[in-house]
Amino acid sequence: MMRIIKLLLVVFAAFLFNSCNKDDDTVLEQPSPAGDYVDGIFVLNEGSQSAGTVTFIRSGLQSAEQEIYAAVNDGDDLGNYAQSIFFTEELAFIISGGSNLITVVDRYTFELAGKIDSGLAAPRYGVAVGGKAYVTNQAAWDSSDDDYIAVIDIESLTVEETVIAGSVVEDIIEGNGLLYVQNAAYGSGNQISIFNPSNNTIEGTITTGDGLNSIDIENNMLYALSSGRLESFDLSTHNSISEITSEGLTGAQNLNVENGKIYYTINNGVYFIEATATEPAASPLIEYHSNSDYGVMYGFEVKDEHIFIADGGDFASNSFVQVFTTGGELLETIEVGVGPNGFYFND
Amino acid sequence: MKSKKIYILVLFLLYVLQGLGQKDSVNVLEEVVIDAKLKDFSTGQTIITIPDSLKRGTRPLLTSLLNYNSPIYFKENGLGMVSSPSFRGTAASHTAVLWNGINVNSQLNGQTDFNTINAGAYDQISIRGGGGSVVYGTGAIGGTVHLNTRLSFKEKLENELYVGYGSYNSLDAQYSVKAARGNWSVSLSGAHNSSDNNYLYPNDRGENMNGQFYNNTFNLGVAYRLDPSNIFRLYSGIFSGERHLSLVRPSETRSKYQDAHMRYLLEWENKMSAFTSLLKMAYLKEKYEYYSDIASDNSSFGDAENFILKYDLTYSVSEKMQFSTVLSNTNTKGKGSNLGENSRNIFSVVILMKHRPTEKFSYESGIRKEVTGNYESPILFSSSGIYRFSDLYRLKVNASRNFRIPTYNDLYWTSAGRPGLKPETSWQGEIGNEFKWRQLELNLTGYYIAIKDMIRWLPESGGVWRPRNEDEVHTYGTEAYLQWEKGLGEIQVALRGSYSFTISENQQTGKQLIYVPFHKATFMGQGNFKSWEIEYQLLYNGEVFTRSDNNSRYNLNSYMVSNIGASYTFGKNDNYQLGGRVQNVFNTAYETVENRWMPGRNFNINLTFIF
Repeated sequence: MMRIIKLLLVVFAAFLFNSCNKDDDTVLEQPSPAGDYVDGIFVLNEGSQSAGTVTFIRSGLQSAEQEIYAAVNDGDDLGNYAQSIFFTEELAFIISGGSNLITVVDRYTFELAGKIDSGLAAPRYGVAVGGKAYVTNQAAWDSSDDDYIAVIDIESLTVEETVIAGSVVEDIIEGNGLLYVQNAAYGSGNQISIFNPSNNTIEGTITTGDGLNSIDIENNMLYALSSGRLESFDLSTHNSISEITSEGLTGAQNLNVENGKIYYTINNGVYFIEATATEPAASPLIEYHSNSDYGVMYGFEVKDEHIFIADGGDFASNSFVQVFTTGGELLETIEVGVGPNGFYFND
Repeated sequence: MKSKKIYILVLFLLYVLQGLGQKDSVNVLEEVVIDAKLKDFSTGQTIITIPDSLKRGTRPLLTSLLNYNSPIYFKENGLGMVSSPSFRGTAASHTAVLWNGINVNSQLNGQTDFNTINAGAYDQISIRGGGGSVVYGTGAIGGTVHLNTRLSFKEKLENELYVGYGSYNSLDAQYSVKAARGNWSVSLSGAHNSSDNNYLYPNDRGENMNGQFYNNTFNLGVAYRLDPSNIFRLYSGIFSGERHLSLVRPSETRSKYQDAHMRYLLEWENKMSAFTSLLKMAYLKEKYEYYSDIASDNSSFGDAENFILKYDLTYSVSEKMQFSTVLSNTNTKGKGSNLGENSRNIFSVVILMKHRPTEKFSYESGIRKEVTGNYESPILFSSSGIYRFSDLYRLKVNASRNFRIPTYNDLYWTSAGRPGLKPETSWQGEIGNEFKWRQLELNLTGYYIAIKDMIRWLPESGGVWRPRNEDEVHTYGTEAYLQWEKGLGEIQVALRGSYSFTISENQQTGKQLIYVPFHKATFMGQGNFKSWEIEYQLLYNGEVFTRSDNNSRYNLNSYMVSNIGASYTFGKNDNYQLGGRVQNVFNTAYETVENRWMPGRNFNINLTFIF
């Protein structure tokens, strides 16, 4: 029986949408930081029966270092089902959903700064704003009534407050001082909650298409990708601005808006359209080769002029990521850990 | 509460039986029937029976006993936690467990968790490597494990009480009574095992948290001989246990798992000239309840009931030739949080024959066909022969086709189960060599098993995970058993050992399956001198892959674990025995599943009282 339960956990994990780290655009104006991991890309590997790990790929893509957290911190591990990472200017918060754990490290040296190991229940995604971190927690698998947002004090690394969300919680991103919580997971849900971090209350909701699977913010706009539908909303008024509903968006996920272009994936293909487009893309920009039964496009990110794809592999052995130019040219294929699910950037 | 009731019942029966035994009567010849099919239809295969003397050498749960005394490899999620066997490199659902000849693998997941069986509550535990589906049905691919109750009519009254206490507040209590008089025979046993299980992981890795468990077992067998040709037997077995599932990290959500089973079997054996008929009726019930968060009352459950009616008719043409027909009908009703409510019916016909044309040579053949609305059932067969070249050497050969039928989870899991699944099937063969020289016995077996249509759960469009007949695995290797006993005056020495070499290869990738070691070895040495007995046990498991691509960087290391034990027998009639055991003497750090460390050196003292 336990096998089935574990399998279900994997099932759930497999439906995850790729973590789009929304606050990686921070421009650093301080003197250059020091550390081994100042300039490059972190790949978060979810792990399976084994703990999650982080692979570091140096800028230039010519060298990769595996399991950097264990290497820097005497073999310590990150816990099970490493889900996502969020950052402050100095720190990286690595969320492990299976262990109810957030491991906090210096984002440039990866040295352990502390752990948040109470007050979390199946944590998923987080964002840091004004000295606090806000982390979505799905709590019990069989209920969404208990899903909540944990408010964490970054100084003391403790959960100060929990706010029941009223429905399932998944991704959380920041825009103009407000937090947007995706109330949809595993292919169902059609709502985004607007959370005000100044008083820790949910101030309103935005309704999207059914089967909402990913959200992104760019240029004062909130984008939402749901089953066969792409929508945008004004970030100030929360009014709908545009909507594309099309068969051509069936199965689309991994919404990523970068430099005025909207990227998404369908199966093993990467598609993009202009932010102003009214039709979905006719053909893919990239189709990559995958043997994975359930980890195709397990991680996806567009950053500057590069497209990053993570393949989940079989979740029982090391897998790979591929880096393309936004023109669709393959630059590198790089081995990473088990079940890579997200990309994060230091530069 | 439940355990208290069991013990009151035990005490009551003890009292009654004491009265019975005090009257004298004529001795009747020893007549022990333990799974006649196992005895009669294992021609080309090797049966290893674990001697009673070994049962007290390890912890009571069957995982421990078989780990130290057989080639079966166990994956254990920490001590006492979920434990799954790999017999001859096969999957957990490819080892069938038979209780007094009845297949008791779970209807829900097709497996037996070997930490839900208390070895102390069974009279005889045997294992047989290789295929056995013709006689034993689903899951008998890697091998079978037999748990039997011994009912003999030889006049006796034996009571045995055993209490062991050890590290981590572990309690192991067993009581059994065997009584027979006239035409009645009773075997009763009760066992309790519990532990806080809060051992420290090696090298300051922390403590095993939330690992506490307890379980109670109660077995009863009653036989009544109506006349020389009619015997009735009733067997029952009740188990209930609760395990908290241990954490890898303190911040994890604490969960627990309760399981229980109830088994009843009524048998009527009738002998009429050359015919022996055996009518069996069985009712089996299994149930689990899983609490994913112990702080909440919410749980999920699964529940299955089995009604079995079996008629077994054996005709002995002569001393040398025997035919047997077994008809059986199994009706299963299952339900669960994610299963809905479903029932299935399986009717099966088995025909067996055994022939011994000469003193030196005998062979047997069997065929099985099942009829059910649930799956397309293949025709299964088994053929074997044994040739005795001399008193020193016998050659055994066996070939068979076996299967594992889809489980309730595979068929009926809410909006995922696939009623059209085929059974997993295997073609397999083995050659065994048996050498006997004085007190030395050596068995060497080579085998090959090809399993196809193995069921795996994979996502389909829309992200729903569903089972498919997907994998093909070939396993092959060798098994060796060695046994030697010698009496030298007042000193008795016994040695037993096993070694297995296993290749288990996924045919799509060509890689060794994860968690199947190439090498496993066990060794046991026992010495008796006057009232003293000492025992040494050794377990060696070779390294295992934890990654499907066999990346050796992530292997679990090989390990060797040793236990030593000593006991002293005293009392007027030598009816007390005081013993002690040191487990993992050399404090080896080892794990059988990644991040699931097993305990270091730990201790046990025990007292046995025979009356």
